[in-house]
Amino acid sequence: MIAPNHAADSAPAADEGREIRVRILRQDAPGQESYWERHAVPYEPNMNVISVLQRIAAGARSADGRPVAPVTWDCNCLEEVCGSCTMLINGRTRMACSALVDRLLEEQPEEIELRPMSKFPVVRDLVVDRRRLFRGLERVKAWVPVDDSYDHGPGPRISPEEQEDAYPLSTCMSCGCCLEACPQYTKIEPVRREGETGEAFAERRQGAFDRGFVGAHAVSQAMLFNAHPTGKMIADERLEALTSAGGIQMCGNAQNCVAVCPKAIPLTRSIARAGRAATVWAIKRLFDR
Amino acid sequence: MNVSTDESAAASFLGRNQFLIYRLFSLSGLVPVGGFLAVHLLTNASILGGAESFQGRVDLIHSLGALLVPVEIALIFLPILFHATVGFMIIAGGLPNVGSYPYAGNIRYTLQRATGMIAFAFIVWHLIHLHWLGAPVRGNALPGFDPHHASSTLAVAMGSMVMNLLYAIGMLSAVYHFANGLWSLGITWGLWTSPAAMRRANWVSVVVGAVLAAAGLGSLIGVRRVDVEAARAMEGRREEMRRMLEGEVPLPSARMMETAVEPRAVESPRTGT
Amino acid sequence: MAQPRVVVVGGGLAGLSATMRLAELGVTVDLLSLVPVKRSHSVCAQGGINSVNALTRQQGDSEWKHFDDTVYGGDFLQHQPPVKEMADWGPRIIDLMDRLGVPFNRTPEGFRDQRRFGGTLYKRTAFAGATTGQQLLYALDEQVRRHEVAGRVTKWEFWDFLAPVLDDTGRCRGAICQDLVSMQFRSFPADAVILASGGCGLVYGRSTMSMVCTGSAISRAYQHGAAYGNGEFIQVHPTAIPGADKLRLMSESARGEGGRVWVPRTPQDPRDPRTIPEAERCYFLEERYPKYKNLVPRDIATREIFDICTTEGLSVEKDRPCVYLDLTHLPRQELDRKLHGILEIYEKFQGVDPRDVPMKIFPAVHYSMGGLWVDYQRSATGGMEEGSPRNHQTSIPGLYAVGECDYQYHGANRLGANSLLSCIFSGLFCASGVIAGSQSSKRTAAEESSRLFDAALRREQDRHEALLGRRGSGDNPYQIHQELGALMTRVATVVRRNEQLSAAYDEVCALEDRWRRCAVSDTGNWTNQNVVFTKSLGDMFPLAKIILIGALQRDECRGAHFKPAFAVPGLQATDEAARRREAEEWCDRFASNTARWLKSTVARPGADGHPQIAYEDVDTSLIPPRPRLYGLVGADLIEEVWRERQQASEARVGGTGVGSGRPLAATS
Ligand SMILES: Cc1cc2nc3c(=O)[nH]c(=O)nc-3n(C[C@H](O)[C@H](O)[C@H](O)COP(=O)(O)OP(=O)(O)OC[C@H]3O[C@@H](n4cnc5c(N)ncnc54)[C@H](O)[C@@H]3O)c2cc1C
Ligand code: HEM
Ligand code: SF4
Ligand code: SF4
Ligand code: FES
Repeated sequence: MIAPNHAADSAPAADEGREIRVRILRQDAPGQESYWERHAVPYEPNMNVISVLQRIAAGARSADGRPVAPVTWDCNCLEEVCGSCTMLINGRTRMACSALVDRLLEEQPEEIELRPMSKFPVVRDLVVDRRRLFRGLERVKAWVPVDDSYDHGPGPRISPEEQEDAYPLSTCMSCGCCLEACPQYTKIEPVRREGETGEAFAERRQGAFDRGFVGAHAVSQAMLFNAHPTGKMIADERLEALTSAGGIQMCGNAQNCVAVCPKAIPLTRSIARAGRAATVWAIKRLFDR
Repeated sequence: MNVSTDESAAASFLGRNQFLIYRLFSLSGLVPVGGFLAVHLLTNASILGGAESFQGRVDLIHSLGALLVPVEIALIFLPILFHATVGFMIIAGGLPNVGSYPYAGNIRYTLQRATGMIAFAFIVWHLIHLHWLGAPVRGNALPGFDPHHASSTLAVAMGSMVMNLLYAIGMLSAVYHFANGLWSLGITWGLWTSPAAMRRANWVSVVVGAVLAAAGLGSLIGVRRVDVEAARAMEGRREEMRRMLEGEVPLPSARMMETAVEPRAVESPRTGT
Repeated sequence: MAQPRVVVVGGGLAGLSATMRLAELGVTVDLLSLVPVKRSHSVCAQGGINSVNALTRQQGDSEWKHFDDTVYGGDFLQHQPPVKEMADWGPRIIDLMDRLGVPFNRTPEGFRDQRRFGGTLYKRTAFAGATTGQQLLYALDEQVRRHEVAGRVTKWEFWDFLAPVLDDTGRCRGAICQDLVSMQFRSFPADAVILASGGCGLVYGRSTMSMVCTGSAISRAYQHGAAYGNGEFIQVHPTAIPGADKLRLMSESARGEGGRVWVPRTPQDPRDPRTIPEAERCYFLEERYPKYKNLVPRDIATREIFDICTTEGLSVEKDRPCVYLDLTHLPRQELDRKLHGILEIYEKFQGVDPRDVPMKIFPAVHYSMGGLWVDYQRSATGGMEEGSPRNHQTSIPGLYAVGECDYQYHGANRLGANSLLSCIFSGLFCASGVIAGSQSSKRTAAEESSRLFDAALRREQDRHEALLGRRGSGDNPYQIHQELGALMTRVATVVRRNEQLSAAYDEVCALEDRWRRCAVSDTGNWTNQNVVFTKSLGDMFPLAKIILIGALQRDECRGAHFKPAFAVPGLQATDEAARRREAEEWCDRFASNTARWLKSTVARPGADGHPQIAYEDVDTSLIPPRPRLYGLVGADLIEEVWRERQQASEARVGGTGVGSGRPLAATS
């Protein structure tokens, strides 16, 4: 994103003159054609994709020396906890900050290929609009419904086992890797119509989001809060959401989500638990009517 | 399902009932469709035990008489049609990506869809080829299946190697689809939730798949082993007997009956070859 | 009067807790952030959050002791009432976070578990795995999302705060912000604006901070007249993993579990570290501090590592200063059990397993104790008066600051795990005062004439257009930033020398000049990160100047601010009487230094573009300042002398005195 920094550390002599070739799928704005652009940056040991992008942005020239607008991308923490920097690197969804160049070159020696995520609308170059992902958290009410933020003493007692069960789920950084790799999660990119007001468009977009698959991350968050002693007080509302359009039923058990999650969150366990809870809940509701 | 930004009435109906529809779809894969598949393949495998035993099973099914058609429609055709329709909708809504993510689970997911479609094509062909429903379509161009002459007509219909190959592919697809579907169904309904339980469940589906695959392939072998002439003779006798029992022809002598119920006396699989 | 409307800039722990509390109180909040709030820098915090708890209480701990540790750790450079209030609130805040669902580690019986951190004797730190900051942030993010769904909060993510809008009385009436996607400008009329924009590590180029920690928001507030406090106090953490893009923190616990710091005795020994024999290794911390060894306090470890690389030239690598942090002698299993999280970071980012190969680490800029100067109202009990509009108000009425971007809680040095507490506390605590303040103002923002906002908006638009329209000198903003970072890291981190600082000040001015002439390489008006970066780079210069001038003028050593020229050595004499005399002298010197320098640095923008520095007395009415003697030769004797003097003066006065009023009035 910002603040490229040529490290003061220069490459050791052995690597002198070695270049990393990078191929980036660029797009100037939503709705525009995308195009490939080649870049080359001097090799340094221990680089990650972010530092490669920083050098590309600083140089603002393509491999053939043409001046080009700096490539745009998202990042913040640079230590794989904020979830900003998801992109397709050599065809696979992962975090750019923890994607080490040396490893990537082992995978594919000729060049590194960078593309924006394909399941979210491109804003520009490698930046995508992941609002639908956050909307998923709203749909499943991923929060503990406390009365207020005043002092009411400590929270409920929780056993170490429950904590160990909950903690991994709670490390989800909303990066969207699980959604990108999910064959059941498809892109929703509504376009504003002529004469449509901003609000009307936002509403229409939200409606579309709400009919689409919520995705593994949201299912997992729903299970996290349905297991919390206070969170479970609105368990029914979460199950209602999980069994409405775009809910848990959309999952086809490809289990890519769990394979690509950078935080190794046990997503398929959450999905199966959600399946079980939804089964019980639906049957119960059938008879309670 | 493809999500459009505007909702038609139909889409809204499907949306509201999506969970129910998908769960019925999932259930239909097990009962009745999966159940039927298992019964059907195991029945067919009985041909390994000889034409007569096979004929016996077929007769048992057809003893339903006039009820058979409504039963077939309600418990087999409609469920398959429902399952297939929803299945195609699901397939249309997904975006397989094994190229980028060649993980075991993803390959299985993709195969589940591929085999579903193959199974569908196969079922259609199978109906045309061997079922009475397909008779008008196949006309006289193809030899069909006659339940009263099960083994012999089957042996003739399945005469070519190409046909055997076609059936092998179709059946194995259906079997893979069903077995892997069982595993997936367990997750869908929440029967196995932990990774360890999923691994154990995997073995269950492997065993189910292996048994059904053996049954399916076995029936192909069984059909190839049928001595058409001998089978015809046996079927003729059974046919005659059936008519007699139903009073269409006078009662036979006791001796004739004995011969008729003594299969080994008339059938000797290896004599023909 | 209608419910007020408040703009919160920043969605880290501080901004989110303020938003949550305000929304709960019925206020309509516009929450702005450069990144989705869930991705704010607070996610990076690993260790934990401090507070007294039932367990430590029974071991003799109390809110007062937490307060005392914080003040002592900060070398007394913070007003004590707000710190006391924070320590008092600690247990309630942990309880609240617990209720919000933070998965704190548990004891077998199901209580929250605690670990021990630096600067205290008690196990005061609650933690959630090795990602406490992330867990706390998510809990608040979830609550704010809940309020957002209920319509009380509007989030503006990917928005940049450009300027406060001040009316003719100098009161803040709202903010001008820019959409980072469409590059559109928008004014946000508000009855109060709360800045919660975090630290400014990027002034140093690379640090342990995230990429949005440019300090741009506070710099812009400062440029509009808000005073800035204690800018020169920047914490440098001893152990971080140097990276081309970022310096990633390697927690103190690596040394706590037995990690050893060393360098080869031969400069830049090219051998594989594992093959270098013991005799040819220099375990410099163990050699120089036989008592504390590798666990000397942070500032000392930082200084030693820095010295061995820069002045002694023993860095492991030639082009890049670093030393070995060695865990390879420890059993793998134990490492996995206790340090898994941080070892994984090293492994992921360096591609090397630290269980097999010694880690290469170096100190890194980590935290800014300084920040926007904020006010407070002292309560009758010596704490902070809840509901007072003065609390956390900057020198611009109606403009507030909370979290890492205020200067209030950590004095000259922050204790580990205290920042998460101060962020959540200040956010929650300020809310009632903000509401009271906006209700006391005569006009609401909505009644303010639109001319005010239009003019402010146009100013920012013009600035933006001018930046886009610059015809370049060929200079590159990224290059300038790199030079600024390198310069600041060289002169204004661990060891500070006046000649260097004053030379650096001129260099910063020269860099700023170059910045004025450099052009952006992207002149488009869609998601133009280039121009946003260039703009925030321009806002780093005022901060750099504040830091340099503050450091230059402060001729003493205090907390993170170390000037060798003004360091007071320990006792040298060996004979009893001479030693006693030296101790007396030491204490005299300490007393006069306290009288001279126990003052907050307060910077205001001068007309000529240079910061104007003033000094503000510190309210030390609750705990009288005492010398920090950790590791000093003759510490026992000095302490004894000091205690005697303390007792004598208390006998004279008859108890602790009550602090006077605030020296710096909250007007502008
Ligand atoms: C690696 C690391 C580990 C740490 N570990 C600990 C620990 O264990 N315990 C502890 O107590 N402390 C720890 N700290 C310190 C602590 O994490 C921070 O001080 C704290 O998180 C700061 O929170 P904040 O809410 O003030 O700001 P941040 O979390 O930094 O949030 C700032 C917000 O302001 C927004 N913003 C900034 N500028 C603008 C602008 N111009 N316009 C709009 N929005 C803007 C950003 O988008 C962001 O949302 C650690 C720090 C680091 C770097
Ligand atoms: C031979 C008869 C068939 C049987 C026994 C059968 C059985 C099953 C079973 C048990 C499942 C698992 C359901 C679940 O995961 O919950 C399944 C899934 C599926 N079936 Fe079938 N099926 C048959 C035919 C078909 C046909 C003709 C199609 C149409 C193409 C089809 C398409 C699918 C699809 C797409 C799935 C995956 C659904 C998902 O995972 O989301 N199936 N089937
Ligand atoms: S579940 Fe994993 S992959 Fe999905 S958003 Fe969360 S951290 Fe990312
Ligand atoms: S298991 Fe479900 S959610 Fe996960 S990748 Fe497969 S289809 Fe998507
Ligand atoms: S930058 Fe935060 S996850 Fe990569």
